[in-house]
Amino acid sequence: MTDQDLDQVIRRMAQTPLSRRGFMYAGGLSAAAAFLAACSSGGSSSPSAAATTSAAPTSAASEAPTASAAPSVAAVVVEKELFMYNWGDYVDPDNMKAFQQEFGVDKFTYDTFASNDEMMAKFQGGATGQWDISAPTANFVPAMRDQGFIQKLDLPHIPNAALIDDTFKKQWWDPTDEWQLPKDWGTTGITVRTKFVKEEVKTWKAFFEVAPKYTGRIVIVDSPDDVFVAPLKALGYSLNSVDPTELGQARELLLALAPHVLALDSDQYNTKIETGEAVLGLTWTGGILELRDKPATADVEYLIPDDGTVFWMDTWVVLADAPHPNAANAFLNFILEPHHQALETMTNQYASCSSAAKEFIDPKVTSDPALYVPADVQAKLEGQKDNSGSKLRASIYEEFKSKIGQA
Amino acid sequence: MAETTEAVPVRPARPPRSIRSAALTTVLVLPASLWYIILLVLPLAIVVVMSFGLQGNHGSYAPGFTLDNYGSAFERLTPFTTSLWLSLAGTILCLLAALPIAYFIATRAGRRKSLFIVLLVVPFWTSFLIRTYAWLTILGPDGLGGFIGDSIGDPGFRILGTPAAVLLGVVYGYLPLMIFPIYVTLERMDRTLVEASKDLGAGRWSTFRQITLPIILPGLLTGSILVFIPLMGEYVIPAILGYGRVFLIGNQLVLQFLESRNWPEGAARAVVLILIMLVSVIFYLWFANRGRKTREVSVI
Repeated sequence: MTDQDLDQVIRRMAQTPLSRRGFMYAGGLSAAAAFLAACSSGGSSSPSAAATTSAAPTSAASEAPTASAAPSVAAVVVEKELFMYNWGDYVDPDNMKAFQQEFGVDKFTYDTFASNDEMMAKFQGGATGQWDISAPTANFVPAMRDQGFIQKLDLPHIPNAALIDDTFKKQWWDPTDEWQLPKDWGTTGITVRTKFVKEEVKTWKAFFEVAPKYTGRIVIVDSPDDVFVAPLKALGYSLNSVDPTELGQARELLLALAPHVLALDSDQYNTKIETGEAVLGLTWTGGILELRDKPATADVEYLIPDDGTVFWMDTWVVLADAPHPNAANAFLNFILEPHHQALETMTNQYASCSSAAKEFIDPKVTSDPALYVPADVQAKLEGQKDNSGSKLRASIYEEFKSKIGQA
Repeated sequence: MAETTEAVPVRPARPPRSIRSAALTTVLVLPASLWYIILLVLPLAIVVVMSFGLQGNHGSYAPGFTLDNYGSAFERLTPFTTSLWLSLAGTILCLLAALPIAYFIATRAGRRKSLFIVLLVVPFWTSFLIRTYAWLTILGPDGLGGFIGDSIGDPGFRILGTPAAVLLGVVYGYLPLMIFPIYVTLERMDRTLVEASKDLGAGRWSTFRQITLPIILPGLLTGSILVFIPLMGEYVIPAILGYGRVFLIGNQLVLQFLESRNWPEGAARAVVLILIMLVSVIFYLWFANRGRKTREVSVI
């Protein structure tokens, strides 16, 4: 009995990660989630559907002469294994398969985390040398660098790094561009089912105002950095504020919102919007944008609030003590090839940081203002700082979380 | 009853121990002790040490000494009281559900006894998380929740995201832990005692109260502890079936370790929780044993 009990606890500890950007159950469930997804293509989940529709550009692209980089990468011996630690379902399964075939990588292990903080906690707990590649959000890169969790990139072996747009280079998190490669970027915005929500919700301010009318029908991603965006921007402050008075005001807005929230959910928020359980959301674009193409959920709208929101960027990093550095380099170079980037963008629904990929992406996607944000809207976006040291933010978030759904 | 109580104190005199058997004992006990020290004592010691430490620059832990963590451990007790409430309710519901099932398997299942036992064990072969996710579909808007909502004409009705859904998930997940200990005691119980009781004119209820219940009490206690203790640390079921609307001490600890990354404060809270659990379980056992002794005395 005790054994079973223990077994259960261990299993639970090992398998709790729920994916932030994923759209399917399996993402958080198994250590090799994406591998499973790749095997079960044509299954019930949305990513495989997305993969099939986007198969055409891939094959078309691979017929074209591929990037000049391939030979120099092949010159080194690529290991037979690659261990990745990433958000759930955050790499296109077809890309993974293609990479494995091209470089003879037999074993592609894909472990998942649910938040940057969880990933950080794992490394702080001493879990180095287990994985080759990870994908933290940019504002976590400096802390990872300072604590020695990541290593400098072997850029000569990743020639495709040159394809990254200048906009994403020389940022505060990596002024010399030698620790990370931009993976993709996105926003945190408001999702509305216009069938059910008649009011115009174009700002965070309006979001807080209409919330009491939709008690129990609001879904919010479970991520402190993103949750603080809403009240701080509604109040006209910086989303990185650590000022006690400003945070105090933000706290009041959050606590007033909490009783009306259906769920804090980084994993299934899109499902809740799809079923209509939730009609209003503070979400990312992943899993949401595709809903607009389904007849039953054509009324879904994702908008970037007029009072501004966060611009976040996820990065690729190579971990310190990576057991398979060559495979890691090969993967990074592979994934940065324009047609692979295109597939990533269409599957994950986050914009690529390389405009070279644009020509391989469905024009419908590149003309979508929710993904490829127009310049005037871009001006309203604010980058993230590393606010994880603020105890006040942490305690406000905890209080908010404990009040969800409590009248 | 008198017979069974007499049987307990009779203990054969110990044969003198040889050096060889002492050595053998050491060897046999060694793996268990190592397991105990490495997987229980050591981590616990780390947690205790950490609970007096400071939060590091990038979160996590930095060496130091402070009592502040314990000061803040007693702030915001709602998650603790919610956990306590849910654990008690969950344990009682498991008890009520497990008793008839265990009774049925032990006394009425006949040849199919092992089949039922296997059926109880089979779910453990599937990940607990997957089984919990399965309830999302069953109780969701396309499942039972939507069906009931349609039937009573309330589109806002839902089961998921309520304490009821969490309780259901809890009873589902922990029920086997309650059934097995009760089943074992029932299985070993001497049936003739029940017959004797009935021959002496006791009705069903008083037979159950005076014969069956005292005999299966150790099973009930074991089962309750096996369910209650892990339930106090539960955090997966409220996150999935409770939509995060049911916020337990386990969720608070996860938040402190993984999101706020304030390990010392989380550790202090964990130590307080462990102490409370320890004291309450000791008290529970003491109380239960005392109860049994007085009953035996009254019978004699």
